[in-house]
Amino acid sequence: MILINIISLFLLYYLKKSSGPEGFPVHLNRYFNYGMVASGIFIVLGATQLPPEFLFELLSFALVGAIIYLILNTPELEYQKTLAITPLPIIGVQLLEYLIETISPSIYDILENYLDAAGFFALIWAVTMWLNHRKQMKELEIERIFLKEQERQLKATAEQKNQLEALVAERTSEILKQKEELQKALNHLQSTQSQLIQQEKLASLGQLTAGIAHEIKNPLNFVNNFSELSVDFLEEIGEEMAKISDSPEKENILELLEDVKSNLVKIRHHGSRADSIVRSMLMHSRGGTGSMEPTDLNALIREYANLAFHGMRANPKPINVDIKLDFDEKLPQIKLNGEDFSRVILNLVKNSFDAMRDKISALGNEYKAKVEIRTKDLGDQILIEVEDNGPGVPDEIRDKLLMPFFTTKKGTEGTGLGLSITHDIIKSHEGKLEIESKVGEFTRFSILLPKIKSTEKSS
Amino acid sequence: MKILIVDDERDVEDLFRQKLRKEIRSGMLELEFAFSGKEALDILASENPPKVVYVFSDINMPGMSGLEMLEIIKERFPQIQVSMISAYGDEANYKKAMDSGAKEFYTKPVNFENLKKEIASLSTSTF
Ligand SMILES: [Mg+2]
Repeated sequence: MILINIISLFLLYYLKKSSGPEGFPVHLNRYFNYGMVASGIFIVLGATQLPPEFLFELLSFALVGAIIYLILNTPELEYQKTLAITPLPIIGVQLLEYLIETISPSIYDILENYLDAAGFFALIWAVTMWLNHRKQMKELEIERIFLKEQERQLKATAEQKNQLEALVAERTSEILKQKEELQKALNHLQSTQSQLIQQEKLASLGQLTAGIAHEIKNPLNFVNNFSELSVDFLEEIGEEMAKISDSPEKENILELLEDVKSNLVKIRHHGSRADSIVRSMLMHSRGGTGSMEPTDLNALIREYANLAFHGMRANPKPINVDIKLDFDEKLPQIKLNGEDFSRVILNLVKNSFDAMRDKISALGNEYKAKVEIRTKDLGDQILIEVEDNGPGVPDEIRDKLLMPFFTTKKGTEGTGLGLSITHDIIKSHEGKLEIESKVGEFTRFSILLPKIKSTEKSS
Repeated sequence: MKILIVDDERDVEDLFRQKLRKEIRSGMLELEFAFSGKEALDILASENPPKVVYVFSDINMPGMSGLEMLEIIKERFPQIQVSMISAYGDEANYKKAMDSGAKEFYTKPVNFENLKKEIASLSTSTF
């Protein structure tokens, strides 16, 4: 009977060990442990031959039966089914022996030889089945290893695929970035190109303008000089006429000569007007000659505001103006085309004088004309303000103020190019010109100049 | 004192004769006119040494330009003063003229006050 318990113990031990890497559920392991303890106890009891032998043997059969039942009915042990069949003949023969021996020992004696033989065959069966089972298990194991390897390879492939995908995504984004950069460069190139074309057009227009302006100077030379000459001659004629005795004819001639003289003076006046237009046009088209030099802006403004004032005082129709300079004395030197920029100051200040002259003639002495020029360091920019308390600029003409040949000055006083040139010069310094005004109160021209030009930044 | 005026426009002769009438009448000035660079050089070459002491020349002329003529005059007759009178008073022309030995550079429309002063200074220094 010890054999049955050894089989039980062996089965349990084998099952417990056969658990894969995942292990068995806890309750199954507990069964195995209890079963092993029970079979161990039964083995000891069997060895000591302690009574009641009958109960102990029955329990042994129950235990092995339970184990086989467990193997057959537990899904986790499905693959161990052959293991359940292996000891069956032995158990059968033992059970038979036990039953016969218990029920009728006399019959047992008669059948003992047969039963021994059956036990022997059952043993052979068990060994065969066991070997078979071992073989099956080995195959299963190989299959399991194979599957595991396959799974590992699959996992590796998936990982590789992921890595590749990440790489592809990375490359794609790199290419996209490059594409964007190229697009940007292309756009920049295109805008530069269109700017160049525009500049080219303007340059050729400028050349044409300059050519025309120059050629006009030749006939103007004659117009101005001949008219001047004729005025001189008329004066001489007048002197000679004084020597001739008076007569109605002489009076008539003198009157006519006076008219001719006045006409010639007008021709001379309009000729010099045309000349100043032509000169302004040439300044306009001349563009960017002269170099940008570090300049003390305050000193430049002081000098040219002064010059504008004395020029105005020396010319016809001088006015009284209070000029106030409010300079930021910590202003750093700034790169300027001094010759061009001095024209900006001259133009703006002269412009103020002309505007205020109109207000003086409208309001008389109650009005005190005043021009205030300010400079201020704004960090990366410099602010220059020229503010007068003149008549102001109505909104509807403020936008036109910077257009070439737009002028508010009556008749023949202005060329209409002063502010346009001023604006061009400021633009060539990458600056901005803004005009604020309130009619009847003030006009303020604000110039914002960058301290560092974009051309300097890029180089 | 003989002065040669070079310009492709014929009205220049009337203008100069009238503007400098007093000086011509008084015998202080003698004017001669050439209407191209070549003509001017021919006039200068016709006398040896040339009586002309001062040349006022236009720059923009058909054929030889005033600047080319200036160079030739300065090479052949270095003693003759040359000043340019041009409608093109730009930097490039000015520099070229001065580098080639021009004495003065006048822009059109000509300011005869300045021109007369130049001629007067010349007459006091040479005669
Ligand atoms: Mg000419």
